[in-house]
Amino acid sequence: MGDNEEKRTLTYLQRLKQKAINQEHYGGQIKQEEAKMEVRDCPECGAGRAFRQGLTACAYCGFKFMNSRLTDGVHIKKENNS
Amino acid sequence: MFGLSDEQYYNPELLETIRQTRERWFYFLDKLETRMHEMCTAAVPEIQEVFNQDTDPYKRAHSHMLMGLHGQINQMRQKANKVMEENIFHFIDCVAAELPDFISLAGRDYHAKLNTFRIDCINRHNIFEEKIAHNTSVLNNAAGKQDLETTYGEQLAAFESIKDKFVCRQCGGNITIPQIFFIATYITCPFCQTQNTFTPSTGAQMVLHQARSLAEQRTVHLLRLYEESKPKDPHLYKQYLRSMFDEWNKIVPDMAAENEKFYLRMLHDHSNSINHY
Repeated sequence: MGDNEEKRTLTYLQRLKQKAINQEHYGGQIKQEEAKMEVRDCPECGAGRAFRQGLTACAYCGFKFMNSRLTDGVHIKKENNS
Repeated sequence: MFGLSDEQYYNPELLETIRQTRERWFYFLDKLETRMHEMCTAAVPEIQEVFNQDTDPYKRAHSHMLMGLHGQINQMRQKANKVMEENIFHFIDCVAAELPDFISLAGRDYHAKLNTFRIDCINRHNIFEEKIAHNTSVLNNAAGKQDLETTYGEQLAAFESIKDKFVCRQCGGNITIPQIFFIATYITCPFCQTQNTFTPSTGAQMVLHQARSLAEQRTVHLLRLYEESKPKDPHLYKQYLRSMFDEWNKIVPDMAAENEKFYLRMLHDHSNSINHY
């Protein structure tokens, strides 16, 4: 391999490497977050979200937390519909 | 008529042109192969560096670099295909049209020579394609395997250390997370029955993403056994696939039902594929 050829290959690779490192990732950077516990209070009556015939409506005042119907997933089940 | 006369056909210039074209084609592919080899050899340490420095959990910088290199190789392939189309096949078509009929005594010898030339050029191109496949696999395997077992072990240890440290956001009562979760889930407070939403850490969420690769790493010896069998033994593939899915289910038990469907589909696809040689 000639010196020029070698230089050209290395320059190309360096440029490619820099571009690969600097390129913005589709969907943005991944934020490293710790495990956390959250709760959703009812905006109408302030009660915590309790299970009473499901989770999609407030167990105390009937406020609808969501309008869509839940289907069976890994942890969320159809039974979670109020 | 029909070129059946015993007339001799003698065209030394044509033979010389064929020889030169063959030589140029071989030289051209030699040069492309040398460039490809140089690029891939120099790229291997760079790929490893990018992979090791890439903090992104999906190793996207590494993927970008790999895609750039694949693009370069693909350009070489396209260049070779274009030259083969324009300078080899087109040349053969033009020459064949000028030659006496194939069935004539005069033309048969030259058609045979032209055919040998065509086969030589195609065979050389096949070697070029094999080198592309080899270099592509060198690039793909350059980064080596991620140590997923250690990462998984760290996540299990991290979960053990935090599972009793959560409190209900409504009443402040202690909540113990009963098992490791990889996606958000509802946890019921044993005191006030409020449904708390537990969101696992980013690292724990990544386990779900890496579970299959980890299971594949654990059962790679079984896959190798299948790949080395000649002719390829479908029972060995089934044995590998079952073990791989069992490992996968051990890591992510919540997905066992979904994985079982995937297992059956992969088994079905494999038994219907034609790659059993």
